[in-house]
Amino acid sequence: MVTISHPTPAVFAILFSLAGGDRHGYAMMKDARTPEGGGVSMGPGTLYGTLERLMRDGLVIETDTSDDERRRYYRLTDTGRAVLEAELARMDSTLKAARRRGLFPAGGRA
Amino acid sequence: MSGLFRSPDFLLLVYKLAICFYPVRFREAYCAAMMRSLRDAIDDCELPNSILVRTLLKDLLVSIPKENLAMLRDTLSRPLLLYNALILAALSTLLSFGLAVIPQQVLRLGANDPQVEITGNLKVLLEQGANPSPLVSRDIVEMSESLSPFTMAFDEEGRLLASSAVLRGTSPIPPAGVFTHVRELGEERFTWQPQRGVRIAAVMRHVRTGGFILAGRNMREVEARENLATTQAGLIWVGMLAIIVVGTFLFGWFSKGPKAIAA
Repeated sequence: MVTISHPTPAVFAILFSLAGGDRHGYAMMKDARTPEGGGVSMGPGTLYGTLERLMRDGLVIETDTSDDERRRYYRLTDTGRAVLEAELARMDSTLKAARRRGLFPAGGRA
Repeated sequence: MSGLFRSPDFLLLVYKLAICFYPVRFREAYCAAMMRSLRDAIDDCELPNSILVRTLLKDLLVSIPKENLAMLRDTLSRPLLLYNALILAALSTLLSFGLAVIPQQVLRLGANDPQVEITGNLKVLLEQGANPSPLVSRDIVEMSESLSPFTMAFDEEGRLLASSAVLRGTSPIPPAGVFTHVRELGEERFTWQPQRGVRIAAVMRHVRTGGFILAGRNMREVEARENLATTQAGLIWVGMLAIIVVGTFLFGWFSKGPKAIAA
């Protein structure tokens, strides 16, 4: 299994976007721009470069589906989902620790 | 001008040109998808044009070097390409070594030529019974300065009989081991360093009737030429290695290479 100890913001944003289902390139860029998607402004070069490495590592695959506009769709693999869950768990424990130290009001927005 | 940047067609054209700076394999795999994503971004009414242009510029500045570096890493990890580059590097090293050593040897051996002739002639005369003192040139040569050949005559025990060479006012004598060696072999061609920084191309012959004759000359100019040849060979070596490195990377850049992903 591929382990990514600390995914880059772009990697995290792509994995997080694909966790919601198959996406094409611009949909992932759009998801990543939103605050809940990571707030990452990504261009096509960064997106496809990152996707290539994620596919090489087996975290993402390209689907066979294509729409009328010939967009290419991508899907999270089980490994990719595991990596994302591990990163979310890490973030969650950091957030809990921050709350315990009073850095974050209980129930406040992450 | 700012209106020109807001024109979708212009943006698409500039972006398509910018994609040329990505490695060939990346371009072939993702150019169409990247252009499609840009068209989607242009069509997105929620995305202001200024932010799109800024994002694209930042993206190009970061991702083009990144993808080219990734290509270089892939190139170096291709065993056949790396093997070829190493073979070429080894050949160029060997060739450069030859270019450095062969001229050095030719120059060094050529530096003995006048002395070989001089000692040969003097040996014949001495073996015919001539007196060594008048045979040795009367023009005194300062060994550390002059490039002219000089001669020295020694008796069978290696004591100096006559000399046309001085070094800081005295005539130096070669190490005793040289006389023993020449007595056994008849002749020796060697580099003599009578003083630090003074190197002499010397030829010594044994005279059958007894004694030794030595001719020598300062190697300063010969060594300067040797150094020049070595420097030139070094530059050629560095140049060849640079060509191999650049050529290997360019090959990696232009070639498709093994496809690492199943698209």
